[in-house]
Amino acid sequence: MSPMEKIEVDTLVVGSGIAGLQSALDLADQGFSVAIVEKAPSIGGKMISLSKVFPTLDCASCITTPRMASVSHHPRIKTLTYSTVDAIKREGKTFTAAVTRKPRYIDEKECISCKRCEEVCPVYLPDEYEQGLGAKKTISIPFTNAIPQLPVMHPEHCIRCGACARACPKDCIEFLQEPAPVEIKAKAVILATGYETTPMTAKKQYGMGELPNVISPMAAERLLAPHGPYGRVLRPSDGKVPGSIAYVQCAGSRDKSIGVPYCSRVCCMYAIKQAVLLSGSLPIADITIYYMDIRAFGKGYEQFYSNAKAMGINFVKAKVARVTEDAEHNPIVRIERQEGTSAPEEVKQDLVILSQGLVPGCDVSKFGLGTGLNAFGFAQLSDETVSSAVTAGAGVFAAGVVKGPRDIPDSVVDAGSAAMEAASYIRKL
Amino acid sequence: MANTVKLAEQLKKLNELRGPVPQALRDRVAAQTKAQKAIMEALKTGPKTAPELAVSAGLPHDEALWHVAALRKYGKLFDVAGRGDYPKYELKAGEAK
Repeated sequence: MSPMEKIEVDTLVVGSGIAGLQSALDLADQGFSVAIVEKAPSIGGKMISLSKVFPTLDCASCITTPRMASVSHHPRIKTLTYSTVDAIKREGKTFTAAVTRKPRYIDEKECISCKRCEEVCPVYLPDEYEQGLGAKKTISIPFTNAIPQLPVMHPEHCIRCGACARACPKDCIEFLQEPAPVEIKAKAVILATGYETTPMTAKKQYGMGELPNVISPMAAERLLAPHGPYGRVLRPSDGKVPGSIAYVQCAGSRDKSIGVPYCSRVCCMYAIKQAVLLSGSLPIADITIYYMDIRAFGKGYEQFYSNAKAMGINFVKAKVARVTEDAEHNPIVRIERQEGTSAPEEVKQDLVILSQGLVPGCDVSKFGLGTGLNAFGFAQLSDETVSSAVTAGAGVFAAGVVKGPRDIPDSVVDAGSAAMEAASYIRKL
Repeated sequence: MANTVKLAEQLKKLNELRGPVPQALRDRVAAQTKAQKAIMEALKTGPKTAPELAVSAGLPHDEALWHVAALRKYGKLFDVAGRGDYPKYELKAGEAK
């Protein structure tokens, strides 16, 4: 058994979404050493799977990929992907994190990312990066612009045919690889564990995730991405180009019945953004957004909303009572308008997107570092009026959505704040 | 290239550690291979839409589309340019053999 890998840095960053990447870069550029730990096989978080960002409609990967590359090549940043932080202990003025590198079943040092293993693997799986709409192989590189470009094997789906090993020019398939423990010592910790979306099953009135043409906004992002699962916008039940598309707003927020009473702050804008992009991809499609209120609060957001209305996106102030489907899997949206006539109405659509809310990606209180949680499970700041990053745990800072729902610009600003606070803390040690 | 002795040893050890490959997994892979062959076979007669391929291959429409997406990703077929409610797919050159 090889000896435990030990890493000593100034700061440990947990999570490599846009907030984690930005915090790590800001610290490393100031001369501090950083270890960034990511549970997924690639850095980049949720943002790397988005098509474009609002309100500028800049390509999301064009913004994220340079930061991912900068982090992975930075001489002061050590990146651990496909790794979990199992525990963090405070020992005097330092923290010791127990991290587990999950096995990829390849020799990472030898792999040249040629994808020959993936090409010959005969087993296809639903690709979670494509929200299950596309396929990957049992051994595959997670996505085109993943960093690192290293494949991961899923042994539970492997038929042990050995095709990958025979095709590998570097003989680096390691079927017997095991998880490897890593110890990271750091002077400060930045929590950037991000969010998950409320599940498609959150509201039983909306199909419980069983209606094929009622999809999540992340799935819609992949449909809109140029290298998405179908290469164009099609509905998942039969590959039809949708002629009518509806968004159900607040499908996972502002709803006490599902335990998410707060506004998720980004759903209005991502729905408007997707509607604008859809109207570009499908010029004759009828696109409707059913909403309670439109919350377009950031710089340029109201103008973006106005532009969407001018482009012909239908904004209907209505509550959606339920979503069912007909025999051809066309979603049927039952609405009650909140303006004009309030008689219930049923509208047939080709595709429906549920605007899911944001919930914490990780219970950060489990690390026992003094960082408490607010009523909704997000990391609690010690005093929001004084700092947007300092938690009650000395040396523990929070960046991005770990503190509560916020959009990408706010997460990036937050990340800078967390890096600045961490740098200031380390200097005083 | 692969060290065949090392590979054989690893696979033997793997079978000892995890037992044989579950029959359900073998069946799933066999069904997958059969479905994709049926789709490829159907495309030999010309471009088809996902619902047409589903009928030819005897698959549910959503499953046929998933296989089309998989075959498209791994370079076996491509989209035919054109309009209409359902895009058509065509075999890539060299895949019709």
